[in-house]
Amino acid sequence: MATASETTLVTTRNESGTKWWTRFLDPSEGTLAALLLLPTALLLTLIIVYPVCRLIWTSFQNLSLTSGLPASFAGLENYSLMLDDPVFWETTWNTVLITLITVPGALLVGLALALMANLPFNVKWPVRLSLLIPWALPLSFAGLIFAWFFHSEYGVVNDVLRRIGFEGVIWFNSANWAFAAICLTIIWKTSSFMALIILAGLQTIPRSLYEAADVDGAGRLRQFFEITLPLLKPAIVVALIFRTITALQTFDIPFTMTRGGPGTSTATLAMYIHQNTVDFLDLGYGSALAVVMFVLSMGVTAVYLRMIRARG
Amino acid sequence: MTFNKTMTLLLAGAAMTLSASVATAQTNLRVFVSSQHRPDVWRKAFDMYEAKNPNVKVTIETGGNTSEQQAQYLNTVMTAKDSSLDVMILDVIRPAQYAAAGWTVPFNEVIGQDVKAYMDRYLPAYAEANTVDGKVVALPAFADAMFLYYRKDLLEKHGIQPPQTWEELAAAAKKITAAENDPNLQGLSFQGKAIEGAVCTFLLPYWSMGKQLVADGKLSFDKEAAVKSLKLWKDFVDSGVAKKNIAEVATDDTRKEFQAGNVVFAVNWSYAWGQFQGAESAVKDKVGVVKLPAVQGGQPASCLGGWEWGVSAFSNNKTEAQKFVQFISSPDVSEFMAINASLLPQFPQVYSDVDVVKAVPWFASAKPVVETAKARPVTPRYNEVSEIIRTTVNGVLAGQQTPEQGAEQMEGRLRRVLR
Repeated sequence: MATASETTLVTTRNESGTKWWTRFLDPSEGTLAALLLLPTALLLTLIIVYPVCRLIWTSFQNLSLTSGLPASFAGLENYSLMLDDPVFWETTWNTVLITLITVPGALLVGLALALMANLPFNVKWPVRLSLLIPWALPLSFAGLIFAWFFHSEYGVVNDVLRRIGFEGVIWFNSANWAFAAICLTIIWKTSSFMALIILAGLQTIPRSLYEAADVDGAGRLRQFFEITLPLLKPAIVVALIFRTITALQTFDIPFTMTRGGPGTSTATLAMYIHQNTVDFLDLGYGSALAVVMFVLSMGVTAVYLRMIRARG
Repeated sequence: MTFNKTMTLLLAGAAMTLSASVATAQTNLRVFVSSQHRPDVWRKAFDMYEAKNPNVKVTIETGGNTSEQQAQYLNTVMTAKDSSLDVMILDVIRPAQYAAAGWTVPFNEVIGQDVKAYMDRYLPAYAEANTVDGKVVALPAFADAMFLYYRKDLLEKHGIQPPQTWEELAAAAKKITAAENDPNLQGLSFQGKAIEGAVCTFLLPYWSMGKQLVADGKLSFDKEAAVKSLKLWKDFVDSGVAKKNIAEVATDDTRKEFQAGNVVFAVNWSYAWGQFQGAESAVKDKVGVVKLPAVQGGQPASCLGGWEWGVSAFSNNKTEAQKFVQFISSPDVSEFMAINASLLPQFPQVYSDVDVVKAVPWFASAKPVVETAKARPVTPRYNEVSEIIRTTVNGVLAGQQTPEQGAEQMEGRLRRVLR
């Protein structure tokens, strides 16, 4: 490597008539690497680094479009406002709660679905298709569909409940029921994504392991806990990372189902950010909230990554 | 193809090109109209303008069915500095905000010399709502206020007079629903969903107790009155006068349920009247309308509504758009809309117009209500004030908070916004 770069340098010096850029035509390995990375680096700077820096900068400003005043530096004012904002704490807590309920929920349902889809059916496509449909449906559509399902007067859920002898529930009139309805919808919507990733993992487990276990006399349950689950771990961790990040950013389903109601009892942090920036046009405060969510997501990702590394 | 045919085609083509260039000399105005305020009837008013001004073509854009959904849409259009909308209809609470944000252009130049005389033609509340620091930021489209609708037939049948206080209303509703024994019949319908209408729901009894929310730009919150107001509505739910899921009810739900004959008393804006008298209405000719009740020992209060026409600061046809708005906010169009869409006039004299009186006789008694209706607080941060009030009303009605907790939270949050 050293020789190669020396030669290049020597040739450049000797041929005094050539231009500086000719060395790019015969680059060293280091220059080549830099050249090849440059487009990606530029693109990432433009679409990730710049917006994130801008967001952080805006979070230190007083910038409200409705005030008609120009932006001014506010220091940590937005952050100190946040600390005694009850709605910030409520929406953050709701977001954490949704994550804690729907991620394990979707994992369990998704695992069961994947195991079922992995059974040796003669015709595989109806099973696969029914796995794909919830995943392919836009989130807001799922929210609107389930909002009708759970409607207190016209919804199918209450209709079924009444037919089997229960009294219907006014789902969106109570914080707990509304929250339950949202969590059920999110689990329905996201478990198929979990199932797809786990199904891919299941298919990489060699048959021979199960055959050997059969020979050794291990039962079905034992096989599941000793072979299937340990070998699925990488797939599960990947699915969990993706699911947790999107759960922290939950917006569409509660927005379309309840708009955060009753009161603010089902509003999430992402909805509160949207409300402050889009409805109130308070970009400073909205940015500060977004920075908090960004830090939260980064923290969770870091924990997962450490988990993967620790387990090799 | 013969030579003649070719020539004919060429000439036809040339003629089409020519007419196309005439068409481009036209001004196209795109107008945002709220879908709940009869865009079909506005269309006819716009046609009148097009007939008088052949070089102007007006297109209607409509969307959303609540004030805040429409505001959300317009907010995105305005923050994007989008030039596609020229004229937009704004809820009476918004012209001040839009002017502060620099989203609308003042009318002063188009109006000319005597701006004050021009604005004095309107009802004072609307002249005031559309003037900020001497600038006319929008022109009134129509007036509105909240009224109490009631089933004339049911009240007569049970020998009850329209209630003067909320307590009388509760008693009357209980008596009628008990006697009718119809499980679908609700005593009272009002707005409990977290929408703009719920802000008025809170303010009606609060104002009736003689309290103000904002005075001289500062919060003047009376916690005791707020608790009483929230409690009044919650009691209607708890005692079965209003239905249990009132926290899901928006303005147009109240209208639909009353129109289907399932409600004895309803709190609603004036637009509902026209629909109650329509062909699909189950309560046609069975509806009475009066001013809203007061709290015991208080003054009756109504919420000032109404919508205003603003011209976008990002429009490419500002002057044409302003001339158009001057036409659609004129007494003639006001009269036309009163007769055909039962929208309350923004001009005092139109209320006593012979044709208006004939078409909508109750407008005569609506005038004093509009004249004394109270305006919601005017502040550039109104969106936040509104969100705080409506989510609290919604939370209390759903049993999420007690009236005391609701009032406390409301006060704390309002203080942060109006600091």
